[in-house]
Amino acid sequence: MANGKMRVEHLSAYYGNRRAIEDISLEFPKNEVSAIIGPSGCGKSTLVRCLNRLHETLPRTRVEGRILLDGEDILELDPIGVRRRVGMVFQRPNPFVTMSIYDNVSVSLRFNGRHSREEIDRAVIRSLQQAALWDEVKDRVDAPAMSLSGGQQQRLCIARALAAEPEVLLMDEPCSALDPVATAKIESLVAELKSEYTLVIVTHNMQQAGRVADNTAFLYLGKLVEVGPTEELFERPKERLTEQYITGRFG
Amino acid sequence: MSGDSPATPEEPRGADTELRRLKVRAKEMGQWALQMVHDGWEAFRTGNLVGAQNVLDSDTRLDRFDEEIEHEIITFLVLRQPAAGDLRTAAALLKISTHLDRIGRLGFDMARITTLEVLPDVPELSSVLRSMDLTVESIVQQSLDALVEDQPALALGLFVRDDEVDRMHREAMRLIVRELARDPNSARHLSNELLVARHFERIADNACKIGEKTIYAVTGQRRSEYLPRHPYTPYVLEKSAPE
Repeated sequence: MANGKMRVEHLSAYYGNRRAIEDISLEFPKNEVSAIIGPSGCGKSTLVRCLNRLHETLPRTRVEGRILLDGEDILELDPIGVRRRVGMVFQRPNPFVTMSIYDNVSVSLRFNGRHSREEIDRAVIRSLQQAALWDEVKDRVDAPAMSLSGGQQQRLCIARALAAEPEVLLMDEPCSALDPVATAKIESLVAELKSEYTLVIVTHNMQQAGRVADNTAFLYLGKLVEVGPTEELFERPKERLTEQYITGRFG
Repeated sequence: MSGDSPATPEEPRGADTELRRLKVRAKEMGQWALQMVHDGWEAFRTGNLVGAQNVLDSDTRLDRFDEEIEHEIITFLVLRQPAAGDLRTAAALLKISTHLDRIGRLGFDMARITTLEVLPDVPELSSVLRSMDLTVESIVQQSLDALVEDQPALALGLFVRDDEVDRMHREAMRLIVRELARDPNSARHLSNELLVARHFERIADNACKIGEKTIYAVTGQRRSEYLPRHPYTPYVLEKSAPE
């Protein structure tokens, strides 16, 4: 995996005394989709939460090691600035419930107060288009975000993340609450987004990882067991544990 | 992050049982195909038209085996969405059933050229063809054992034995060419014997393909990774070329 946009080196993450991630080194190549798979409790969500410094927002947590974004250690940077560069989409759609569709997307731009109304309008349209939602909402951008379906809400959250023009987009099981049709839309969106962004997707769905990811990393008990091109990992994994997991022998 | 306790590897589940059953099914198909080869050869050798007809009739069952195995593998793929070793095994079994079908069909083809004519008495040629029959039967059997027992080493041994069959094939060709020069009137039957020798050689090739698929299913390795293809030359340039 050459040309790493983001790289973690000897990363360990703790909840109090419990180490949820143990000495992981891993690279996320630019303009590629990297999937993280593993059974519940293996540390995959913790890993992505470290990548935009969300892990540290929980009490009694800490991180060791380095997380490099274009060679810069993000642990030494301002967390707010890091989150602007590394966006995140969560498991369940979480639009701001009291806001309209427009406001949900524009909120990050309005908060930093450096954009004109026209710039914000353009950014909202661009983000909704990138999230493949524009055609469905262009006539009702002032409608409440909660009037959208679950799949649309998730794409709205993706648009919200994209509005800040991040370099990396983290997705933590983005389809787990969605039906197959909405899931297919998100997956094709992921394929389109990678031309502009570097994507990291956590998924429980092995077939989804197979469909969308260029590279896949398998975590078990907080450790990185195996990482490689997705096709290779699913067809002939090198490690027995990976084989057991992806063939449903455990997990 | 989920609060579930971390999962640990468990005993094998249903996929193992289903794949084992499919392998046993493939072996049954293989036994059927082998019987067709043996009976086809015997019918041809002895000019037994009744025996030949039995072989031709048994092709229907061979087709059914192929269809049943294909159906079961497709069901397995759809319902299990397998990966890694399970996926490789399912994919290998799909191909293996095709190779087994071809083996049976080559027995069918021997039965198809059976005539009432008595074989010209060429003891050397008869001996080579009988050896080919016994050898390919044993090779196909070995390929089926390797498949059912997940034995890549056993499968690897097939390639050496295939060379043995190739040598016999060339020897049969040499003898047939010699006999044709001696007795042009026996051309029709000799050309049929040439076909039979060719069929035996193809059967051994199909057994090797089964071995290849077994090795892929068990280890994930493709043939080019463990057995580089040797460069082929026209027969006429080989030392053991037929005259």
